[in-house]
Amino acid sequence: MKRSRMTAVAVLASLLALPAAAGDTVAFTGATLHPVSAPPVAGTLLVEDGKIVAAGPEVAVPAGARTVELAGKHVYPSLIHPYSALGLIEISSVRGTVDASEIGELNANIRAEVAFHADSELLPVAMSGGILVANVAPRGGLFRGTSALMRLDGWNWQDMTLAAPVGMHLAFPRVAGGDDDNDDNDNDKALELLDDTLADARAYDQARRAAEAGTAPAIAIDPKLEALRPLLAGELPLFVHADEKKQIEAALDWAEEEGFTNLVLITGPNARYLAGRLAEEEVPVVLNGVLLRPERSWEPYDSSYGAAAELHAAGVRFCIGDGGSTFEAANARNLPFHAAMAAAFGLPREVALRSVTLSAAEILGMGERLGSLEPGKDATFIVTDGDPLEIVTRIEAAWLEGREVDLSRDRQKRLYDRYRNRPAPAR
Amino acid sequence: MSLVSRPLTCAAALLAALLGALPLAAQGDPSFWRNQPPEQPAAVVVRNATIWTSGPAGRLEGADLLVRSGRIVEVGPGLEAPTGALEIDATGKHVTPGLVDAHNHSAITGGVNEGTDIVTAEVRIADVIDSRSINLYWQLAGGLTTANLLHGSANAIGGQSAVIKLRWGGTPEELLMREAPQAIKFALGENPKQSNWNVDERRYPQTRMGVEQVIRAEFQAALDYRREWQEHRSGRSRDRVPLRRDLRLEAVVEILEGKRDVHSHSYRADEILMLMRVAEDHGFRVKCFQHVLEGYKVADELAAHGAGASTFSDWWAYKYEVIDAIPYNGALMAERGVLVSFNSDDSELARRMNLEAAKAVRYGGLSETAALELVTINPARQIGAGEWIGSLEPGKHADFVVWSGSPLSTYSIVEQTWIDGRRYFDRAHDLEYRQVVAAERAALLAKVRASKEPPPGEEGEDDEEAGAGTGEQPAEAPAEPPAEEPEPEEPQEPPAATRPAARRLP
Repeated sequence: MKRSRMTAVAVLASLLALPAAAGDTVAFTGATLHPVSAPPVAGTLLVEDGKIVAAGPEVAVPAGARTVELAGKHVYPSLIHPYSALGLIEISSVRGTVDASEIGELNANIRAEVAFHADSELLPVAMSGGILVANVAPRGGLFRGTSALMRLDGWNWQDMTLAAPVGMHLAFPRVAGGDDDNDDNDNDKALELLDDTLADARAYDQARRAAEAGTAPAIAIDPKLEALRPLLAGELPLFVHADEKKQIEAALDWAEEEGFTNLVLITGPNARYLAGRLAEEEVPVVLNGVLLRPERSWEPYDSSYGAAAELHAAGVRFCIGDGGSTFEAANARNLPFHAAMAAAFGLPREVALRSVTLSAAEILGMGERLGSLEPGKDATFIVTDGDPLEIVTRIEAAWLEGREVDLSRDRQKRLYDRYRNRPAPAR
Repeated sequence: MSLVSRPLTCAAALLAALLGALPLAAQGDPSFWRNQPPEQPAAVVVRNATIWTSGPAGRLEGADLLVRSGRIVEVGPGLEAPTGALEIDATGKHVTPGLVDAHNHSAITGGVNEGTDIVTAEVRIADVIDSRSINLYWQLAGGLTTANLLHGSANAIGGQSAVIKLRWGGTPEELLMREAPQAIKFALGENPKQSNWNVDERRYPQTRMGVEQVIRAEFQAALDYRREWQEHRSGRSRDRVPLRRDLRLEAVVEILEGKRDVHSHSYRADEILMLMRVAEDHGFRVKCFQHVLEGYKVADELAAHGAGASTFSDWWAYKYEVIDAIPYNGALMAERGVLVSFNSDDSELARRMNLEAAKAVRYGGLSETAALELVTINPARQIGAGEWIGSLEPGKHADFVVWSGSPLSTYSIVEQTWIDGRRYFDRAHDLEYRQVVAAERAALLAKVRASKEPPPGEEGEDDEEAGAGTGEQPAEAPAEPPAEEPEPEEPQEPPAATRPAARRLP
């Protein structure tokens, strides 16, 4: 039962793989390669059928391979956005363009990929900023539904889906002290709803399994509870959203109690107060809010800037996000600068780079395919004139699974070209 | 028993020691409002730095900066300093002018929008400066020294603005930069026409056509008002009853007489052109367009009119009128001769304006020094203060920043921020003082625990003006919208550290 579902997921994932140009071998020569998994090295990146087959100084270029000369340039793996509304939002104030947030509390059956707008103007802009892949998540409610790892280039959501589902998103209730004001009542209700929903889902799962085994009559399918079954079976990671210290603690306690071990915490700078526990319990973290002001006036002015360094020092496995709000989607391209600020305030630079590449891939369960320049991985990388964590660096080209991305599709570049060439008006 | 009580006793002793030391401690606390202002050394010399003057001297390697009595005396290599001058070895470091933000809403008490009327020219930001706002300290820590505090954008003709220096610890009046000229905020487009707020309580106007007519009508009323007073004073008026003063119209008359600069929120090319033509019809020039995200489409016209353009580096797509915003806007306008700056419009972003400037190198290829000028001399000139601040030139205020590296590098941090030759921020001091605060906090918590009261949450109390959480909860996820130009769209809810900052569109 459990096994067959896993197989189905695997088959689905393989169907979603984009066909690269078959038999196509390309050698990228002359650049400094930044594998992330290893120190930078001058060398050749060899790509075959959309996969990296070799990367390093001693790579021989096979006869018949196409060569792309990149002297003086730098090659980095694509930046990976760990939590975004890209594709679900166009203009946040225009309601008709917003598909990011469903109403109701139980939206476990919501799937991000099906509403991913392939021709969103935001996508080429993000790719110009070096982000070729994003974990796109729905929001709204307690159980928000499942996120999907999306290629930002393609023809429709089907062929742009790199992996789905990536994880079930749960907005853990804020934990209140038990006062009588409305907020606290709402929180208590939310906690109760969470417990009730899990109890329902378990009972439902039991009934479904019994029906499948032929030991009980069939029951009506409930899409919301059905969507929670992979979570109960441990097949789907649980992405828990919690920002406050007590809320994070409560979420971790709850997950432990309920037996959810396949866990990712999506959180903010307050996670630094729990760095020890997060390290000890080996909970991977998506750290948002590096650029937030301190939450409290007595905190050091750089407390958010420095949160990543504190997590790193404690040994927490983390990647860095930008908050992922609908407002942020348009400027997803600034993701590397969140990591850079963390580096300015104590995070080692190589860890900062890793936090928006390989660490993100690993935490999203795609460490085998993405995040570094290593043989066997997708040829999904960017070509720059310098360190992508520096704002003054320009991203000059991008390759997604061995295909060059047309960065001139970027609407902003088109407007720039058009108006840069505007003749002076007649006086 | 003794095992339990012993730590408590220790904590109590520590607390007593700390409480005794409190007045002294508070005096040195960098984040403690109403300190004495930092002392002003008679002379300061910063040695051997890379100095970005933002003036005609450009960027100098291995240069010194000499300051006397709060003013810059000289910038150059191997300067002779007076005896007793405070010497700062800045070898390997960079020095820039204090950063200037031409569009800022921090340190304003309560709302920044008197949004009830389409014209509110009488209200004054100078009356509501919150000099205790911790934002001032946090922005100092990012190298900001001067901010143009603007009214919101809910009205075609909004309130009067105030230029402040971030003299942390001063009273509201001490913060005011008195040299800066008087100015007023205008706004065009979706905000004054209420496209995204108060949709159930509509007021005139609801279109850009209406906005134009509101502005023209107000100028006409101001002209009539001025004439009535002139007639009254000259005795030509038939009506001998003294006229009633109208503070709203007086502010508008000042615009027409060139005594009050206009800073206008704007996005689209059409509305930018419109306001320039209305201004020209009334014999004045718009001092500066704010945001002006389609300014690149009418850059030649802006340059010909002589308006400055204070824009965002890269924000776009948060509402329909900014769908054509491009990060090349600043560079494109600068190439066509417009005086360009980058602004924050946001208390978070105002802490890292140097990195906003760096985006003009990335997008559009401005030179590094021209890019830095987007947050130094250019905004200083836009707010009419270029004579005193914005560059490191002899005679100017000694407002400067010492950086660990290039101000355009994401890896650089601010080490010191000086205003008027006084060191208002020093990272080394800040780091030291954290230990004092941590010890005090621990002692106070220990005391609470000893008294068996339920201890306050470790996270402390919610703090209204401090940043919100990642804003990830419960349903929507705004980590602090950057471009905050307040709108009365959503009523202010009571503060909660965990509640996302109310999303308001710039």
